[in-house]
Amino acid sequence: MTRFLARRAAMAVLTLLAVIVLTFALVHSIPGSPGAVMLGPGASARDIHAQNELLGWNQPLAVQFWDWITHAVRGDLGTSLTGGNEVGPDLASRLPVTAAIALGATALSGVLGIVSGVVAAVRGGLVDRFITAFSGIVVSLPTFWLGILLVYVASIRLGWLPATGYTPFADSPVDWAKSLALPVLSLAIGGAALVARQARASMVEALGQEHIRTLLATGIPPWRLLYVHALRNASVPVVAGLGMQFVGLFGSTVIVEQIFALPGLGQVAQAAVTSHDFPSVQGVVIIATVVVVVTNVALDVLISALNPKLRAA
Amino acid sequence: MNRFKSGSARSGILLATATALTLTSVTACSSSSASGASASASDTLTVGMDGDSAANGYDPAKYTEMRQFFESVYDSLFVKTADGGVKPSLATKFAYNKDKTQLTLTLRKGVTFADGSKLTAAVVKKNLDRRNDAALVAYGNMAKGGQAEIKQVTAPDDQTVVLTFAKAQPTFQEQLASDAGMIVSAKGLADSKALGVAPYGSGPYTLEKSGSVKGSKYTMVRRKGYWNSAAFAYDTVVYRALPDPQARANALVSGQVDVAAVAGSTSSFVKSRGTGLSSLGGTVVTLPVFDKKGTVSKPFGDERVRQAIQVAINRQDLVSGLHKGDKPTSNAFPSSFDGYDAALNTTWGYHPDKAKKLLAEAGYAKGFSFTVITSQANQTDLEAIQKQLKAVGIDMKLKAAASTEEAFAAVSTTPLGYLAFNWPEPVVAMQAVVLGGFLNTQKATDKQLTAYTDAAAGATGAKRTEALTKLNARLVETGWLIPLYESYSYAGYNTKKVKPLTFAGNDAYPLLSSIKPAS
Repeated sequence: MTRFLARRAAMAVLTLLAVIVLTFALVHSIPGSPGAVMLGPGASARDIHAQNELLGWNQPLAVQFWDWITHAVRGDLGTSLTGGNEVGPDLASRLPVTAAIALGATALSGVLGIVSGVVAAVRGGLVDRFITAFSGIVVSLPTFWLGILLVYVASIRLGWLPATGYTPFADSPVDWAKSLALPVLSLAIGGAALVARQARASMVEALGQEHIRTLLATGIPPWRLLYVHALRNASVPVVAGLGMQFVGLFGSTVIVEQIFALPGLGQVAQAAVTSHDFPSVQGVVIIATVVVVVTNVALDVLISALNPKLRAA
Repeated sequence: MNRFKSGSARSGILLATATALTLTSVTACSSSSASGASASASDTLTVGMDGDSAANGYDPAKYTEMRQFFESVYDSLFVKTADGGVKPSLATKFAYNKDKTQLTLTLRKGVTFADGSKLTAAVVKKNLDRRNDAALVAYGNMAKGGQAEIKQVTAPDDQTVVLTFAKAQPTFQEQLASDAGMIVSAKGLADSKALGVAPYGSGPYTLEKSGSVKGSKYTMVRRKGYWNSAAFAYDTVVYRALPDPQARANALVSGQVDVAAVAGSTSSFVKSRGTGLSSLGGTVVTLPVFDKKGTVSKPFGDERVRQAIQVAINRQDLVSGLHKGDKPTSNAFPSSFDGYDAALNTTWGYHPDKAKKLLAEAGYAKGFSFTVITSQANQTDLEAIQKQLKAVGIDMKLKAAASTEEAFAAVSTTPLGYLAFNWPEPVVAMQAVVLGGFLNTQKATDKQLTAYTDAAAGATGAKRTEALTKLNARLVETGWLIPLYESYSYAGYNTKKVKPLTFAGNDAYPLLSSIKPAS
């Protein structure tokens, strides 16, 4: 297991480095500059050049990159070129918002999806057909449409939940839950449908295996057969799918953050890319990459625990 | 498969548990109100802003249209009044010399900044002496070479500031009633990094960092000892950045914000939910011609070609199809302005045959082509106009901006643009935008436009109206501006918490001091 983890950690560091270099290259290859954005329409080329000089944008790319990375390894993600604020603390204050949405949506879609998928596989018949058809419809609903619909019903018509904004947990746990309910539901509904279909297929496959029939013949209680033996077998692809879904949801929050005006990473990423605010873009990318890498490692470990055969692979 | 149905009870329990979890997350949150914390206190005003008001930090000189946000933390030398005029604020008295090339300001005594330092003439001078810094866009036309260039600022004593201009500036005080007239403390000016993360003003409120999240929410709390505290009704003002128009409308309708700028596209929705809505005309959506010298596209250097475009556009069709509720216009000025002339709507209305004739006279009987840069906001309008121009032989190609820089650079790289022009005071707009600002990077000149602008600046009453009428007509006749329609700005408000909103003249953002509790 130690070698396995060491291998994964080494890969993670390489991935992170590659993404950092790629992001740096992409930000600098986009047409435009932070000076031009700051000075607005009509600014002369001379003024834009002078402003970029002040911001350090005109330095050779290698110098800019080295300067940034030597600070980053010490935990200093730099200062926003346009806002002047420290990138690290700013992103740290936004991470909980995005993480809460992505984690909440993953957890909710996991619970709803697994329950629905297992019920469909176990009950069969009309229930199966209904769940399969319903999840097929739900999976095709766009997140932004669901978000708008939920706001209209739950906030505007019923007045149950806030339409926009975020309350930190430390300020009020109840308001925190309120502020996250609709964004999480918007993302979780589609995710749950995906998980349900995957869980159903895996469960059907598991239930068809010979050792399950053998166990049934031994007189083992049906609940134990279903939820201990069959579900464990069926869980490997579902867990892998949920892990990938978390990564996907972490990225999808950009849309949800816009609809619900949430101060998450997506919001700052959008503003930073538009204004060529390289330190902010790089900071967001590092966080996102770390999340993806850590999730992947955690998934590998979890799947190995669920299926020991994979550890040897 | 049915053999496993004996497990259905447990499946049902699991399903019920999952459902309960979901409902808990929803109903735990479904107590009495959805309004959130922001609007719960009667002494708190929550304002929904259409963008991040402090995206570039807290130096007001870095912005041109952030008055409503920055007036909470900064005082300005002059302030706007409810009727659209200006009155002294940090300056208590002002006087021009005879030829209007010098303005003497007498400063208010006893004003302190939130950082404890005092307002002095030297601080005001230090602020205005930053005017040649290109990053401080609020000073744009006051900088060297600008239409309202300040040659020198002196501070003969602690209470007096003297501004000397490059040419006569009879209404310069109007330019000091917004971002450019806001005064940053000496400490803030000395530390640009600190000014990037906190305001250094003498305004009625101070920023409460614990209640603020950059790019999302800014909480301002009343500052004790402020000299004009009675003018501001609320103890706390929360500004929420809600750039998405629908999210802003949702926040307003559901009671999360008390006041918000409402986009035209969501105004019907806001109104249908019983939310208060004040509207203001005054924004003329215009195609400004950048290339008056014909440098980028030769045909645009010929006035007849610009006139041809003027009469080739069917404004009524454009409004009927895409902007119901707005008014087609061929006036450069809004209908509420002195100088508006209804006859221009006929003279420069839709005359496609005349357009073809003008093109032929200019030597473009077979038409010509040019490219404009589009954005998400103007794409549909420009597509409609593209078809209309095609009918007279003009091929207008549309290119989506690949970057903000490309969109900004369009003023010098394309012959024609698209602008929702919210006209402030017309002389200021002419000096700061049309003649000397970003609409004229080529520094094109027109003797009549300059003469009428100067005449309006120095006149009052009927003479001013006469000068503005001529100015308006000339702007259209020369094709410097190709007006399309007059659109409306909307400000929504929670009728239970806030009195109906009023606008200060033609400013689409109500003054913070004018927002009062409903009871």
